[in-house]
Amino acid sequence: MFGRPRSRSPTRPAMTATATPEPPPRGRLRPAAWFLAALVLVDCGVVLCRDTWERHSPDDYAEKLAGCRSRPHDFVLAGGSPVAEGLDPDVVAGVRWRGGELSDGYAIGLSGATTTETYYAVVHGCPVPPRLLVYGITASDLNDARQEPHGPYSLMTIADWVEWVRTKPESAEWVTRHFVQGRLAKCWAAFRYRHGIRMWAAETADRWLPGCCPEAAKEAGELLRYSETLRAGHGYAPAEGFVTGNYDEAKATERKLPPFGFLDKYRTGSHLKYLHKLADWAAAAGTDLVLLDMPVTADLEAKFPAAVAEYERRLAEFKAGRKVTVLCATRGAVGLGDRDFADLIHLNGGGARKLSAWLRDRLAETDRRRGEGDRP
Amino acid sequence: MIFASKAFFIFLPTVLAGYHLLARRSPKYTLLLAASWLFYAWVPPHYLWVILLLTAIDYVAGLRIERSADNHVRRLWLTVSVVSNLGLLVAFKYTGFFYDNAVSLAQGLGVPLAERAWHVVLPLGISYHTFQGISYTVDVYRGNIRAVRSFRDYALFVSFFPQLAAGPIVRAVEFLPQMVTPPRVTPQQVSDGISLFVFGLFKKLVIADNLDLLFVGPVFHDPAAFDDAAHRWAVVAWAVQIYCDFSGYTDMAIGTAKVFGFELPPNFRLPYLATSIADFWRRWHLSLSTWLRDYLYFPMGGSRHGPARTYFNLMVVFVLCGLWHGAAWNWLAYGAFNGALMSLHRAYDRVITGVPWADALRATAGWKVLAWVGTAYQFLIGLILIRMTSWGGGLLMTRSLAGVGHIPEGDASPGFAVWGQLGVPPAVPLLIAFGLSGHVVGLLRNVGVPVPHRLPDPLRMAAAAVAAGLVLVFSPGVAKTFIYIQF
Repeated sequence: MFGRPRSRSPTRPAMTATATPEPPPRGRLRPAAWFLAALVLVDCGVVLCRDTWERHSPDDYAEKLAGCRSRPHDFVLAGGSPVAEGLDPDVVAGVRWRGGELSDGYAIGLSGATTTETYYAVVHGCPVPPRLLVYGITASDLNDARQEPHGPYSLMTIADWVEWVRTKPESAEWVTRHFVQGRLAKCWAAFRYRHGIRMWAAETADRWLPGCCPEAAKEAGELLRYSETLRAGHGYAPAEGFVTGNYDEAKATERKLPPFGFLDKYRTGSHLKYLHKLADWAAAAGTDLVLLDMPVTADLEAKFPAAVAEYERRLAEFKAGRKVTVLCATRGAVGLGDRDFADLIHLNGGGARKLSAWLRDRLAETDRRRGEGDRP
Repeated sequence: MIFASKAFFIFLPTVLAGYHLLARRSPKYTLLLAASWLFYAWVPPHYLWVILLLTAIDYVAGLRIERSADNHVRRLWLTVSVVSNLGLLVAFKYTGFFYDNAVSLAQGLGVPLAERAWHVVLPLGISYHTFQGISYTVDVYRGNIRAVRSFRDYALFVSFFPQLAAGPIVRAVEFLPQMVTPPRVTPQQVSDGISLFVFGLFKKLVIADNLDLLFVGPVFHDPAAFDDAAHRWAVVAWAVQIYCDFSGYTDMAIGTAKVFGFELPPNFRLPYLATSIADFWRRWHLSLSTWLRDYLYFPMGGSRHGPARTYFNLMVVFVLCGLWHGAAWNWLAYGAFNGALMSLHRAYDRVITGVPWADALRATAGWKVLAWVGTAYQFLIGLILIRMTSWGGGLLMTRSLAGVGHIPEGDASPGFAVWGQLGVPPAVPLLIAFGLSGHVVGLLRNVGVPVPHRLPDPLRMAAAAVAAGLVLVFSPGVAKTFIYIQF
């Protein structure tokens, strides 16, 4: 039979080459060892320049976490992208709270974050608890149909992963997969910093040969500016497109806006557990927690009435159950119209200034009322 | 599963480790066969029956052919094998094409026939493993090889995963002798395997995919929006893209096979250095062109029955070669175009060879350069045929290649930034230069420059590691399948 030692197969003579003694395993594996060593060396080179790559393609979750951790702050503004684009701590700073001035604040608004990511951002970003924590919450933060992989990738520790698996067993597989992927990606610096290296290459090439890759060089320039703002400021680094965006104009010109899927298949319960954990953490740390119900466009509310109703019900239950201050930043209360939004949910530069000023006034009023023994 | 996928980078080390940890032949090959079937069934899994059925038929046919002394029976089993392989190939690959043309014809005749609302997904590598199956039974019939007794061994020959999806089309006579005992991997094979795999990945992901995304795709999609300079660049870039895509895949296949200790035949010999169309087909997709030569052209009589029959045979072979690539009229035209060129070249060669002054002229360097330019021009026109999205667009690009100017229509923006007078994104010439660097090295060797064939392993592996880093950084990140897997 073919292949057996006593085979009559005519292919047998061809085996003379394989009859040579097997090379020693060490010799066989030497090229693979060289390759692995070279990969490690290349990676070490990449790690040595990591600051350059990070500046050219910042991981906003990690940068904001590091910025928030860098020193204690009087107050922290936390939440998802509506907070990232819509709340400026410099405008809020100066407000009086419990007899003292809140002079230094930080905005840890994370694009795409749900309540779960916000919780981990606050817990890890505030080793010294602030006096006041304002969580700018929206309906999409509580939508269990959403999961943000950036959280397991950039915010969570092994203990957090274990806690997640226990708290939210229904998404244990998802979080495990993303947590492991994140850890593995961080093991290989060339993979981790690949976008930063590409941006650096584009910027360098365009500096040497102007006009050779204008689009990539423009993107690299924007990311560098974003990175500098993130590192130097108080976490408020809105994207240029949001600052200048105008939802009113976009509607008038019938410009097609990106689809909004953050309230699709709306259901609550899982992320809500982390809202309670955030309240527990604040209580244990002696931090005042204020929920800021973030304003959204009328179009969004009209598009997802069931989701908005469910969210408002949950928020009311939470407020009643935990005795937490909730500030409702409705469009009417803040004085916002479609012209103050960049899209369905994000405020533009003008809207952000209005909301931040409104928040400062409301915090001052809340503090004053508290002094008078009243709760809003 | 394809080579440039995340799943493959988990699959390969796992199978490799298992294969080398197992000591004996039987479990080694069983593991390799199971892995190959898993590779095949990854997407879509319900087609596994195709390869299992054809493997079983060819295996039985091989044994029956060998055991029978009756020529009638032997021919019957050979027919069963060939018809099964070609039948399934035609059914999967050409049903849609035939139906579409039937609809067009019926509509032309005024007979209402509904346009198809269905789409046939091709089983992975069907164009390749069917040809392997046919070559096996034909070789057994011809007495070139003995039939394989072990079903597992035969199945592994057909479905060995490195070459399953897009070749090279391996002959039984090349592969089966290596299987008698599990090949022992040498340090050189490990070194070659790693470099071939990584540089193949580089060719595919960095050169081919970026060329397509940056330039070739947009220009071929709407040639009217671009000027003649962009057309010329796009055709050259397409030539480099298809070469890097396919030779990249082949390099990865050969490299992967090497780390298991197997040697697969080469598929390319610097095709863009060809100085005639016949020379080109001796350098491009060798495993297919030699298969067609041995199992189609020679049985048809080859060049043994006079010039007219030879030209006819060439036309048939190349038209079928075109249709093998794809069930579409432009592929048929590509085949006919190459068949015509081959026939013309053969006629010219018959006339000119042996004439002293002509032979002397053809031996000069100047003539070789001229012949190279002419050949390049021919295959570039052929490449337009297979990438064009409409016949009008193809004609426009062919005119640009011939030097006829074209001013873009309307205010359509090219969709990318051009640089200076080149009329092309600056990365494109750079990628073309990278893609053709192997040819330049080959050319230097041809003219006697002592370029080393093999760098010392540490340097080679360092270069491979840098290439792996470049793949990570500069691959476009958009999953694009290999072009030849779609055939």
